[in-house]
Amino acid sequence: MEVTVLIQTADKAFEILEKAREEARELLYSAAKLTSEAKSLAEKRETRAFLSGAQQSRVALRNFAITFLILFGFWILLSGRFDYFHLALGVICSLLVAYLSYDLLFFNVRLGDFRIRARRFFQSAPWFLGQIFSANLHVAYLALSPKMPIDPQILRFKTKLESDISWVAMANSITLTPGTITMDIREGEFFVHALDKKVAYDLNTGEMEDKIAHVLMEADHVYIQDVLDVSRIFGALK
Amino acid sequence: MIRLPVICYSFLVARYSNEYQETSNEQPATSNETMTQVTDDIIIRTVARILIPFIQLYALYVIMHGHHSPGGGFQGGVILGASFILYLITHGLEEAKIRMSEVKAGLFSSFGLLIYSGIGLLCLILGSNYLDYGKLSAILRVIPAQARSLGILGVEIGVGIAVMAVMFSIFFDISTGGILPEDEEGGQEGR
Repeated sequence: MEVTVLIQTADKAFEILEKAREEARELLYSAAKLTSEAKSLAEKRETRAFLSGAQQSRVALRNFAITFLILFGFWILLSGRFDYFHLALGVICSLLVAYLSYDLLFFNVRLGDFRIRARRFFQSAPWFLGQIFSANLHVAYLALSPKMPIDPQILRFKTKLESDISWVAMANSITLTPGTITMDIREGEFFVHALDKKVAYDLNTGEMEDKIAHVLMEADHVYIQDVLDVSRIFGALK
Repeated sequence: MIRLPVICYSFLVARYSNEYQETSNEQPATSNETMTQVTDDIIIRTVARILIPFIQLYALYVIMHGHHSPGGGFQGGVILGASFILYLITHGLEEAKIRMSEVKAGLFSSFGLLIYSGIGLLCLILGSNYLDYGKLSAILRVIPAQARSLGILGVEIGVGIAVMAVMFSIFFDISTGGILPEDEEGGQEGR
């Protein structure tokens, strides 16, 4: 008698547990759905805002003006003649090139964060220069030591950076640092050739990646997905 | 200076002669398709995008300072054409056609040649030799030395435009094998 009661209660307890699990799973599904819907909605809103006529023309005008200023500075640097005739030629040529390719120089730059980026760039420039200097010394040591203790290897790692510009900035910083060369980027996966274990280790710490993410303002936004971390909870349930 | 009309003429002859079209119809462009496809290397694409405005400005600098320093219309035009060719290589045929199509290139090459020969003929009409800019001082209201400087600047600009367009056009024709996708479709519809 007691045993059957025990079994029945155990069964009930299991049933309740199963139900609770089902409910939790459904809740999680709906939560995941909601987050994805919210994300897609936000993306749609962003694209709509981006594509609305007035703002688009404003962005185009701003890009045109900045491109013109940069190109005119480049012209003065090249020309070195400061009479009115040549300056007028420079203005005309810069306007022409800015008209031809104002959408090339600034392809997908977000609005309003240009000054922050510039400040962060100048703040972190000494770190990059120091990194390049120390890597220079290390490669010089490798080249000059009689045994030449090199250990060439190819690293392959997935980056957390998201935009094209930051990928290219990362690739060029890696290539600029002596001892490492970026060979290819395929869908966010970097293929890097490193001269020995030390430079490979320096790269693997991910400090450079963090710096670039900081400069290009990639780490500033956090997705809802990351907070919920749905996949991990799913794994625990199953 | 003499190279330009020769290149333009030979190019136009090659472009519009029947023989050329017959041979190109027999061999459809399959081997050269990779030249006009979008490259999958993100580094090359992004760096090209950032560099192209500066290449174009440098080309214009070479054209505009041709009468002071090394360079001139031909060299600057080649650099300008190279910037468009770089865009075509990195961004593919479809996007490049928005910026510079074959029709536009043809118009620009004729327009540049018109500027060049127009200035020459203007000198001839004013009573001196062909491309003798001294007489242009009557129109420009400056001393003959300055008129020579301005006249040769105008000629450089014309040469630059023509060379840019012809360079781009030559590359365009080589890379597509002379047949554009819409040409093929149109031809099939016509038949």
